Amino acid sequence: MDQKAIYKFCKSLGCCEACCLRYIGIKHPNAYENSKNYVTKFREENDLEPISTDKNMTIDVSAHTSEKNGASISSNVRNSDEICDKSIDTKESITNKGSTEVDTAVLDSNDSVSPPHKKRKLNVCVSCLGVLQEDNWQECYQMVKEILDKKGYECNTFACALSAPIATLLREKAVTLHLVDEFPQYDAKVLTPLKEAWKWSFGVKLGAYINKILDSGAISPLLITVNIDYVDELQELEILKTVSPQLFAERSKQKRRFVTEFTRRSVEQALELATLWSLSAADALRAPHSRAACVGAACAHAPIFLAGRYIKLSRNLPQSPWILEGRRVLPSSVQEIIFGPLTKCYKFDPEDADRRFKFIAAGREDVDVRCLGDGRPFAIEISDPTRQLTAEEMKEVCEEISNGGEVIVKEMSPISKEDLVQLKKGEETKSKTYEALCIKLSHSKFDEDHNAPIRVTQEDIDRINSYTNTTSKEVKIALQQKTPIRVLHRRPLLTRSRDILELTATLIPEHPQLFALRLRTSAGTYVKEWAHGELGRSAPALAAALRARADLLALDVRAVHLAWPPARRAPPAPRAPPPTTS
Amino acid sequence: MEYNILDSIDLNDKSIYKSFTDRYFSKRYILNVDGIENNDIMLMFHSNRITLLCLAPSHFFFKNPDKYNLNFTIGKVDRLSNLVKGKGKKGGQMLTPKSTICKVEWNDGTSFDIPCGMKGTLIEINENLVNNPEILREQPDSDGFIAIMLSSIANSEATKNELLNHEEYLKRVNCSI
Ligand SMILES: [Zn+2]
Repeated sequence: MDQKAIYKFCKSLGCCEACCLRYIGIKHPNAYENSKNYVTKFREENDLEPISTDKNMTIDVSAHTSEKNGASISSNVRNSDEICDKSIDTKESITNKGSTEVDTAVLDSNDSVSPPHKKRKLNVCVSCLGVLQEDNWQECYQMVKEILDKKGYECNTFACALSAPIATLLREKAVTLHLVDEFPQYDAKVLTPLKEAWKWSFGVKLGAYINKILDSGAISPLLITVNIDYVDELQELEILKTVSPQLFAERSKQKRRFVTEFTRRSVEQALELATLWSLSAADALRAPHSRAACVGAACAHAPIFLAGRYIKLSRNLPQSPWILEGRRVLPSSVQEIIFGPLTKCYKFDPEDADRRFKFIAAGREDVDVRCLGDGRPFAIEISDPTRQLTAEEMKEVCEEISNGGEVIVKEMSPISKEDLVQLKKGEETKSKTYEALCIKLSHSKFDEDHNAPIRVTQEDIDRINSYTNTTSKEVKIALQQKTPIRVLHRRPLLTRSRDILELTATLIPEHPQLFALRLRTSAGTYVKEWAHGELGRSAPALAAALRARADLLALDVRAVHLAWPPARRAPPAPRAPPPTTS
Repeated sequence: MEYNILDSIDLNDKSIYKSFTDRYFSKRYILNVDGIENNDIMLMFHSNRITLLCLAPSHFFFKNPDKYNLNFTIGKVDRLSNLVKGKGKKGGQMLTPKSTICKVEWNDGTSFDIPCGMKGTLIEINENLVNNPEILREQPDSDGFIAIMLSSIANSEATKNELLNHEEYLKRVNCSI
């Protein structure tokens, strides 16, 4: 394709420099960063107005150029001519498609002819409606900066997104159809999307303004979205009802939905059917009366995830706030103890902590069960964080958590969202080791003197240690456990197969009626229910191994067998705070 | 040992030795059901509105040492085929205070009914009673419970409040357990 010819043709339609590059199909970001310099290569050496002399007047120059081209076309009876005519409201201009074929040579040769009767009120690009035109950007910069100053993200990169007027789709289609008409071999697919061009031009300059480096959305966690609206949008999109009457006849059956009639989707659908003739007849590329304007910006940081393991030393502490009928049952929780120092670190409003932090753990222990050893794996999701915590800060957070004495967190480290899968999977698949303090409640038939105080004998211990009800080498005791009564009101009634994989009992010489158990169980085993048998609902119970009634007095989780935090790959690149502005 | 489990609880605190049912349930009693003397039942209320149906220790059943059978077919309803689905326990048999859960049939051909004593949904019959009916006599307040029922919070609370508690029960039956 002759890029120069496309450039000149787009100019003639009233496109801005950046849009010309888009239609040519230029994909180098640098081209858009400084489109006015880049386009000089498409200009003839004998151009009367070298762009270099006019750097600060790009828009004016381009408008001027397009007027010149418009004139050349007009003298040759072109569709674009009609567009220019309509831009000054000459209603009698009638579509005259294909009446004359104009080759690019004609355009070029007529480039310098100036049309006295064509004057645009505004030098707004007919395609992007000014979105890509720099003089439109100052208010965007300011709007973004205001939000960033308020939120105070430390991330020194950002990704840039655009919510552009839907009217630009209509106009893009019109320009593309003109191009195909002019250059039959033109491939509409080469068009560089508006949002890409916007990123490469606006994004880079915004970076300089806000002191951050533009990066891709896949890399930078900070996303800045700018919303640009075009006031004449609805009026212009009305065209589509003539272009694609059948589509909108159906849609307008729900009349009350007039405003949402034109969605990005419906407009795209309608445009699939559009022809150059129908769009030209409807004056789709009329000169805009106003430019699209920045109406808002949104800044959001992707959530970050911290991983750690908590040790719970209290038998009076739930994992999450325990609230019954609107009232707290216990004053604190593991979750709140961990959130506390983080809330301070991020300077979040304490009321806000619940909304900003999410606690995710590999299962939970009962309020009265301690969790010792290396602790239970957990993660915290922090939404819209202002920054990643430094290793130093995470250490301090851990210290502050641990100083309270009820919960110990030795370390925390940043992880990715994908790592959470392991945490959830671990909850369902990984075995746990418990220590239980148990009591023998009745004489067994092996006890000689049933009037003597109940004592745990070495034979009792041996019986427990040798007990099995399976032939499997991995499983020591296969259990059938009904949903425990304590959770039966909120969970389905089911009988689950669970396994005790290892079991070792030991005497406690100073307490002859007590004995200690260490056991490893499959995920989801109800240890307390196994110990007391829950009225026969969990079977076989500990009593079956001991051959006497038994109960559990205290339970500790000694190990949750899940590697966590996940083995560290390349650690996330430390982000230095951005240089200060001034 | 670090964080020794023995040191983590107060072994002198009697409450840690409470039985499973005493730890989690409040016992309530209904005496002379249907005007039959010592036709006494015990309802054990869990704080989560689950209720267990048991025979009260003063029930005349315990005075008869004869052999017995338990029959869970009440008219056309087979209590053993009760099935509840999902968290909401859909499909459970609806119960009113007079609904019979089980019939005790003595060897001599006489029998008596065990009513459930409250409005609610039948969740579960103690299936162990089918193979081991003797646990009804041996462990009436634990493994020999008869059924698990669920009712609304309001109904559970109201029923609990209007029935005899354990102390009142002891006074009324004037016996020691
Ligand atoms: Zn443009």
